[in-house]
Amino acid sequence: MDALQYWILGFSVATLPLNLLYAFIGCVLGTLIGVLPGLGPAAGTAILIPVTFGLDPIGGIIMLAAIYYGAMYGGTITSVLVNVPGEAASVITCLDGYQMAKKGRAGPALGIAAIGSFIGGTFATIALMVVSLPLATFALRFGPPEVFALLVVGLSLVTGLSGRSMLAALVMTFFGLMLCMIGMDPVRGAPRFTFGIPPLYDGIGFIPVVMGLFGVGEILLSMEAPVLEVIKTKITDLLPKREEWRVSTGAIGRGTIIGFFLGLIPGIGAIIPTFLAYVVEKKVSKHPEKFGTGVIEGVASPETANNSYANGAMVPLLTLGIPGSPTLAVLMGAFIIHGLTPGPFLFKERPDVVWGLIASLYLGNVMLLILNLPLVGFWAKLLEIRYEFLYPGILLFCILGAYSLNQSVFDVGVMIAFGVLGYIFRKLDWPLAPTVLALILGPMMERALRTSLEMSAGDLSILVTRPISAVLLIVAAVVLLSPAVRLLGKRAGKEDGG
Amino acid sequence: MKGRVIFSLVAVLILALGVSAYPQAYPTKPVMLMVAYPAGGSTDVGARIVASIAEKELGQPIVVLNKAGAGGQVGFTELAKQKPDGSYIGLINLPALNTIILDPDRKATFDIDTFTPIINQVLDPGVIYVKPDSHYKNLKDLVVEAKKRPGEIKVGTTGILGDDHLAILMLEEAAGVKLRIVHFEGDTPQVTALLGGQIDVSFLNVGGLTPRVKAGQLRVLAVMDKERSKFYPDVPTSVEQGYPAVISSSTRGIAGPKGLPEPIVKKLQAVFKKAIENPEHMEKMDNAGLAIKMMMGDEYGKYFRELHDRTKPLVDAARKAR
Repeated sequence: MDALQYWILGFSVATLPLNLLYAFIGCVLGTLIGVLPGLGPAAGTAILIPVTFGLDPIGGIIMLAAIYYGAMYGGTITSVLVNVPGEAASVITCLDGYQMAKKGRAGPALGIAAIGSFIGGTFATIALMVVSLPLATFALRFGPPEVFALLVVGLSLVTGLSGRSMLAALVMTFFGLMLCMIGMDPVRGAPRFTFGIPPLYDGIGFIPVVMGLFGVGEILLSMEAPVLEVIKTKITDLLPKREEWRVSTGAIGRGTIIGFFLGLIPGIGAIIPTFLAYVVEKKVSKHPEKFGTGVIEGVASPETANNSYANGAMVPLLTLGIPGSPTLAVLMGAFIIHGLTPGPFLFKERPDVVWGLIASLYLGNVMLLILNLPLVGFWAKLLEIRYEFLYPGILLFCILGAYSLNQSVFDVGVMIAFGVLGYIFRKLDWPLAPTVLALILGPMMERALRTSLEMSAGDLSILVTRPISAVLLIVAAVVLLSPAVRLLGKRAGKEDGG
Repeated sequence: MKGRVIFSLVAVLILALGVSAYPQAYPTKPVMLMVAYPAGGSTDVGARIVASIAEKELGQPIVVLNKAGAGGQVGFTELAKQKPDGSYIGLINLPALNTIILDPDRKATFDIDTFTPIINQVLDPGVIYVKPDSHYKNLKDLVVEAKKRPGEIKVGTTGILGDDHLAILMLEEAAGVKLRIVHFEGDTPQVTALLGGQIDVSFLNVGGLTPRVKAGQLRVLAVMDKERSKFYPDVPTSVEQGYPAVISSSTRGIAGPKGLPEPIVKKLQAVFKKAIENPEHMEKMDNAGLAIKMMMGDEYGKYFRELHDRTKPLVDAARKAR
């Protein structure tokens, strides 16, 4: 089959009425999760995985993916109207989005965010279609040493890019890696750090951890926050003015490119692309001083990058089976629960799933545009739900979700424990993403390393004598050492000066 | 899979209400069927096929519960500690269960006597696969090459001390060769590695891989059984190729915890025998590439124990080689 046939296959699967319905439900739920502060896409998808158990694999995955990018849209609404990001990737949108809302231009802010997201998402989906097939073929050359090296790159990126303190990020990464050591040794089968507790034989499940850190932890934190003040403005004119269009076009184009390419690199996370897009926009702008006072390109660019990233990040997941962010790891968990292993084979064996999913991303973007533009007022209303009603409901869903994964009370305990930890870490301003990503990538890394060593009969040089693996390891070293080098450079500079 | 979550919630509710207060004929409530591997794997596929047919016969829903992890150990541990009242049974995979018991490192909390074997459903023979362009045409080519380059030919397993690993050990012993054993987690990573040229030979089973052979992605070197597989009728067995000691398979059957009362065992045997012999079951299993092998009562128990004795020296040898 050539590429065109795959596209047709994809669309024929995605347009089945039932799959359209799942995509639609996913978009609605995703927007809802994005709108409500306290629940991000990672916790949202994790909680809703059990709901998809009863669906067929394609339907279930289409729905979860729709929740994922739907949340990216929904987060914007909260950022603009309340100045609180509905999910982490919308942080930067608060800067100009909220200012626009204060000036009574909430409509165009939300409008351009939805339009930019649509364009970014659509172009990224098309790019995904174009690059996936050749990449999936290339991915076969990724043996265990290459996979190990790529995972090291991913972890060093998430460590290097999360939060303000590299030390805190390193601590969180190693905390995650230590958690992975609990459970059966993946190669020899001997239990490690299980203390004879049977549920620990299987290790700490990452889905309850994600629900805890990102769901319960966030709710605990939100309960402290004052009640949100929603800007009450009539959202009438959603379409930007002509002048606003002109500046937005370039912003949307740049956001699309930044988002997609950063999505290809595992470990970047959804926040970096939005920040980078914002910074770039400020650099190219003729009036950089106005950023932060409510300029439309300050909303258009990061919001576009956000959705473009979400689709670009599907590439490493689908071709290599390597999730780039906690949310994608949950999505990968969903593939596995439904008996599908993401990786080069999935393209060959289940083209219906892969291309159906890709086509559904495209259709989902259309649905979100329709959902968002006319219904913005409705979503804004949701923000007025009293927390006393909202949070117990979400907590209940978390507990049900954690339990129904494996019908295990232990998982519920894990979720609650990590909820408390998540609250503490947030208070300390220690980044959570490195822990979660390390917890997910750690076992893959250990397995890849040990398989590599079995292939080489114990010779470590296999990691550096294979070209792809050697290059990747150098990249990882550069990422990890660059802050140290910069710091040394600064100190040296100071000494020279003093 | 439909309604699984709801089913289990309903089941829990019924358990909580204590419907079994009145002595009635077994079963009075839904029966849990534990699968120690993830949903979608070949054990799970087989279990769901038989459960959907047997529950009509049983008169109570059969709820498939996936308790995956640690090569099956999580689920087997769970099954072993259930109350023997017939409300919780499970699939046991041999020789995976045997090796977990036989390897002291695994610190298993169960033994072979901790289970009551009920009925076997599947016998999935071990198969040696290569890439279609491999220059090994048969088992002999592989052995000759292995003698020339001891410890250099990379062969993959689907996990340490699984049936595929044991099969490699059998071949090493029988042919007097040494191979470089590389462990993968499950079928797909191993096949990916084989096609990517990371390993030279794959030790797997028939189940789930027939479509790949048909599509020309894989070539079968040998089926490690006494009889030819109906899925690969043209491929000579390991016995035909001169290695009668290299016989390997993975069997899946239904078992309960220790002390399951005789009437319940008899009832379950009758129900599952009928389901296994049902043409619908046969057809669905055929499509999944799973060969049916029914064993009950003493026959199944004997198979379990004999396999245990045969596996012990292999596990010991593998542990020494570490």
